[in-house]
Amino acid sequence: MKIAVCIKQVVTRDWPVRIDESAAWVRDGDASFEMNEPDAYALEEGLRLKERHGGEVVVCSAGPARVAQVIREALARGADRAIHVESEDLATADAGVVAEALASAVREESFDLVLTGLQSDDQGFGETGVILAERLGLPHATIIMEIAADGDGAGRIRVKRELEGGWFQWITLPTPALLTIQSGINQLRYATLRGIMAAKRKDVRTVPFASPPPSAWNIVALRVPVKDKQTRFVDGPPEAAAAELVRLLRDEARAL
Amino acid sequence: MLVVGGGPAGLAAAYRLATRHRTVGGEPPVVAVLEKSREPGAHMLSGAVLDPSALADLMPDWQSRGAPVAVPVTEDRIYFLTERRRIPFPITPPPLRNHGNYVISLNRLVRWLAEQVEAAGVDLFAGFAGAELLYEGDRVVGVRTGDRGVDREGNRKAAFEPGVDIRARVTVLADGVRGNLTKTLVERFGLDDGRLPQVYAVGIKELWEVPSGRLPAGAVIHTMGYPLPHEQFGGGFLYALPDGALSVGFVAGLDYRDPGFDPHTAFQRFKRHPLVADLLAGGEMVRYGAKALPEGGWHAVPRCHVDGALIVGDAAGFLNSMRLKGIHLAMQSGMAAADAALEAVRANDASAERLAQYAALVESGPIRRELHPVRNVHQAFAGGLLPGLLYSGLSLVTGGWWIRDPMPAHAGHTRLRRVAGGEPAAAAVPVDRRLTFDKLTNVHYSGTRHDEDQPSHLLVQDTDICRTRCREEYGNPCTRFCPAAVYEMVDAEAGGQRLQINASNCVHCKTCDIMDPYQIIDWVPPEGGGGPRYEGM
Amino acid sequence: MPMPSSARPPVLVIAEQRAGSLNPVTWETVAAAQVIGGPISVALAGAGLAGAATELASADVSEVLVVEDPALERYTPDGFIAALAQVIERERPGLVLFPHTYQTRDYAPALASRLGRVLIPDCVGATARDGGLVLLRPMFQGKFVAEVAPAGDGPHCVSFQIGAWRADAAARGGAAATRAVPVTIDAAAIRQRPEEPFQEAKQAVDLTQAERIVAVGRGIKGQEHLPLAQELARSLGAELAASRPICDSGWLPMDRQIGSSGQTVSPKLYVALGISGAIQHLVGMKGARTIVAVNKDADAPIFEVADYGIVGDLFEVVPALVAALGE
Ligand SMILES: Cc1cc2nc3c(=O)[nH]c(=O)nc-3n(C[C@H](O)[C@H](O)[C@H](O)COP(=O)(O)OP(=O)(O)OC[C@H]3O[C@@H](n4cnc5c(N)ncnc54)[C@H](O)[C@@H]3O)c2cc1C
Ligand SMILES: Cc1cc2nc3c(=O)[nH]c(=O)nc-3n(C[C@H](O)[C@H](O)[C@H](O)COP(=O)(O)OP(=O)(O)OC[C@H]3O[C@@H](n4cnc5c(N)ncnc54)[C@H](O)[C@@H]3O)c2cc1C
Ligand code: SF4
Repeated sequence: MKIAVCIKQVVTRDWPVRIDESAAWVRDGDASFEMNEPDAYALEEGLRLKERHGGEVVVCSAGPARVAQVIREALARGADRAIHVESEDLATADAGVVAEALASAVREESFDLVLTGLQSDDQGFGETGVILAERLGLPHATIIMEIAADGDGAGRIRVKRELEGGWFQWITLPTPALLTIQSGINQLRYATLRGIMAAKRKDVRTVPFASPPPSAWNIVALRVPVKDKQTRFVDGPPEAAAAELVRLLRDEARAL
Repeated sequence: MLVVGGGPAGLAAAYRLATRHRTVGGEPPVVAVLEKSREPGAHMLSGAVLDPSALADLMPDWQSRGAPVAVPVTEDRIYFLTERRRIPFPITPPPLRNHGNYVISLNRLVRWLAEQVEAAGVDLFAGFAGAELLYEGDRVVGVRTGDRGVDREGNRKAAFEPGVDIRARVTVLADGVRGNLTKTLVERFGLDDGRLPQVYAVGIKELWEVPSGRLPAGAVIHTMGYPLPHEQFGGGFLYALPDGALSVGFVAGLDYRDPGFDPHTAFQRFKRHPLVADLLAGGEMVRYGAKALPEGGWHAVPRCHVDGALIVGDAAGFLNSMRLKGIHLAMQSGMAAADAALEAVRANDASAERLAQYAALVESGPIRRELHPVRNVHQAFAGGLLPGLLYSGLSLVTGGWWIRDPMPAHAGHTRLRRVAGGEPAAAAVPVDRRLTFDKLTNVHYSGTRHDEDQPSHLLVQDTDICRTRCREEYGNPCTRFCPAAVYEMVDAEAGGQRLQINASNCVHCKTCDIMDPYQIIDWVPPEGGGGPRYEGM
Repeated sequence: MPMPSSARPPVLVIAEQRAGSLNPVTWETVAAAQVIGGPISVALAGAGLAGAATELASADVSEVLVVEDPALERYTPDGFIAALAQVIERERPGLVLFPHTYQTRDYAPALASRLGRVLIPDCVGATARDGGLVLLRPMFQGKFVAEVAPAGDGPHCVSFQIGAWRADAAARGGAAATRAVPVTIDAAAIRQRPEEPFQEAKQAVDLTQAERIVAVGRGIKGQEHLPLAQELARSLGAELAASRPICDSGWLPMDRQIGSSGQTVSPKLYVALGISGAIQHLVGMKGARTIVAVNKDADAPIFEVADYGIVGDLFEVVPALVAALGE
């Protein structure tokens, strides 16, 4: 099974990011970065499929030069090789542009399966994988919680999708296909010393992103959300305060 | 060859090992570096004013290779502070002059150094902690890395990955101040017998961004006096970087007497002094961190060579406390150790006798040249510190901006005064979360992170002491000296109090291991990759 | 704030239904369309839609477009993309609005892509700016809000986060016209074969999906008092969560921890009981829509993010709340 896993480098989850001078992006020059969490699960799922069915795992990342960090990490965890679509503009690009960049890397090879994370921690579009599927002409399924072990790994694949409110659904689709993977689908492995050594010898193909499509939108401003309400203190003896709070929650906040 | 610790000392050693053959010929050795932080440099916290001499020795073309060392020191000021006022030193005493030095971020420098080291063919393993030394008889033969994937009860999780034994002909310990491996090695062989006990200080630092025009990039300010009483050792620093970035820090000797003392509180007080508060007004605190430093000097350096291993950098105590500078000495010692190790390996003899060449190199080289003259500097101080004296005796002033009592002949923690029952009154400082912060808010800005489901990496041998003797005798100073609020005394279900260890708050400063009056706290490395994520510090 | 009428392109709202019954979040999207302004149509795709179409026709919109096809009986991305692409190409709206449901996430990005557009997903608001539409969407896990201006020609495709608009604010104007829009779908070309949905108790609670959360902190004092909080959670229909010390002591499992080393949640209602509001906790919950704090310390930082606060002893306030909710 030949598997592509798309990974993104994002600003570390609880990093105190700040807005930059343009007021339209964050200052990521001095940020700490890591692999987007759902992508790490997608990679792990790819590695497990390979262990089950044989084949190859190729990581693809579209981003500026700094994403080499997560590519290396993926190779150390066991991916066989990597494709890096490199362009500084990809750091702030919209999902359409990023999907096109990934498509340019994935299109040339015939993968049986393309895996992406469900969504990214930074821009949080949650659509790059789905757009990529459309651009590649592949069938897709999203928010995957399980990939059935019984499939033959070729021809068809049966996957469990998460629906809202505790509902799930199994779906069968023909391969090649694209799946977006939910965090927590598996247990992540650690990179080993041996893996890190081996990663140095693995092939990373860097390709320029020659013809990016126009942006679908512009971020005109980025700001810290302001709390429009002041804290309303509900006073009085416990019974009265409780009754008043319940009334406010019901009638004013409509939270009940 | 194995180097444990990817700080300036370890990386200088690794780089030297990997490139030495270019000058002396022969085959390059296989070199690996273990570093516990997730990314190279992420556990680096320093001032920092860099004396570039060692970097130039290591890599003469450092400038053309784009080392992030760009801001020369442009001005140098020293103040003695009283609560509201500042008294400038009329001239800067020679040892403190920073002409030719640079204001840098150590973790950026180290990240860059790590790239150079890897490009030279070294295997750098970030995210792997050296958990214990491997021995054959009394010979060090390598290091075992920590297990990963163990839950808080000590059970193996699904992703369990056992530690790996890495064997090496020579192991260079560059595990920094109070390094966990160095500590066990020194204890096992009594390497500090006949030496003065090491004394330490803890540095607490914030990185700020302040409105333009406050201090020109390259300005260096040191302070002494307030908020510390005369008999207490320490001082503040302000180093200006480009674009309004400002390093603000406070160093407090870990040999204070008052168990109610809280270095973090002292740092907050320092920031409230008009000198500092005016510089920070309208700015924003962007990073926080803390780290101990050794400052016992020449006489406190232990024997640094044993069969199969060498100790370098802060782990050994090569820091010039008069100048608050250790980076260049760490690098010098790393280079000296590399040269000795390479020759030993080539001679197929990594015995202590052979590795003693490292000591000879230290003796004959720039390290002794710098540290030896200041070895007895404490003799210049007959008595306490009187501000008036500062103007008069320049000889006094040469002691530097941070002035210590006669070098104690006892380890710092032994100086802690007992309080008669209950908690000492530690005066609080108002927290406005603009200029001053509580510890937990500060810790957020260290970026520290650990997998919460792992055993505590702070081993307290006997927590009964905490709720009984320590509570009575010292009022649980760990709840104050830890700059990350790791230790808390909380009400126990069974009545009374118990020690709560919030191990995942830890910023790896090593203060608790040093300052605990009963010496029952052992800092051991948490799962590799855990810890602070410093950037620009 | 309605935009100037000159700049109001036709708006198409994509309704969502399952097995013929309308997903009520559709009303939120209708409300959004009404605020943005312009002639509004609502498209409903599926099979057996009569009931849902009638329900929708009560909205104050110009038209309800009914897209019936047997191939749409069960949702598949291929089927819905094929059908709705035809509808949008025929109707030529300037703006297409979706509720940001799991189903929308599954197909709308590909649908937009087929139309040569990119979906602007997960928006929480819209305003008019310089005659154009500007959308607000959270970024960096709610740390920031971005103002996003669509570029290029319409139709611009936008999805709105659940709860961003109020369903009960959707104006119902009487009887909108209902029009069937025929589409041709090649059932054989649908590649996904879905099975019957099923419910499953999750191995781990997913607090990120919870609508309401009651969180306890160290103010609860002991594990034996947890039932108190549990009772409040039950009366509110909420999940129980906690600050770190509670999970750290093993009083609640670690997957119930809210904060920087736990879950990041944004429920409709978050009730913090005896939680001081350390920054590491706040980063995990300040995105909640309504925050209630009960704490005996009036200076506790939790009140800085709370919408409603009771300064008092939780052991008195919580039973009173349970009682008040029971009425
Ligand atoms: C507040 C402060 C201000 C300072 N200001 C200056 C200044 O202005 N100028 C100056 O020259 N010096 C300054 N210093 C001193 C200087 O930072 C140190 O002397 C220098 O960093 C020492 O380098 P090192 O490599 O020996 O140790 P470190 O820099 O501490 O590096 C040790 C490395 O080893 C790693 N490590 C530790 N244990 C393990 C393990 N078990 N397994 C794997 N990895 C491990 C650590 O994570 C770390 O990366 C300052 C220090 C402090 C604290
Ligand atoms: C790296 C790191 C990661 C962390 N991650 C997390 C995380 O993910 N989640 C998290 O929650 N914390 C986290 N913390 C810990 C965090 O900093 C705080 O320590 C923690 O949130 C405090 O929990 P608390 O509010 O329950 O307890 P406390 O701070 O002790 O607050 C208890 C509160 O209860 C009130 N109270 C007491 N009795 C009563 C009563 N009878 N009635 C009403 N009120 C009462 C008190 O006034 C007080 O405000 C992290 C810390 C660090 C450093
Ligand atoms: S626990 Fe010890 S090493 Fe960790 S931050 Fe506190 S004092 Fe420093």
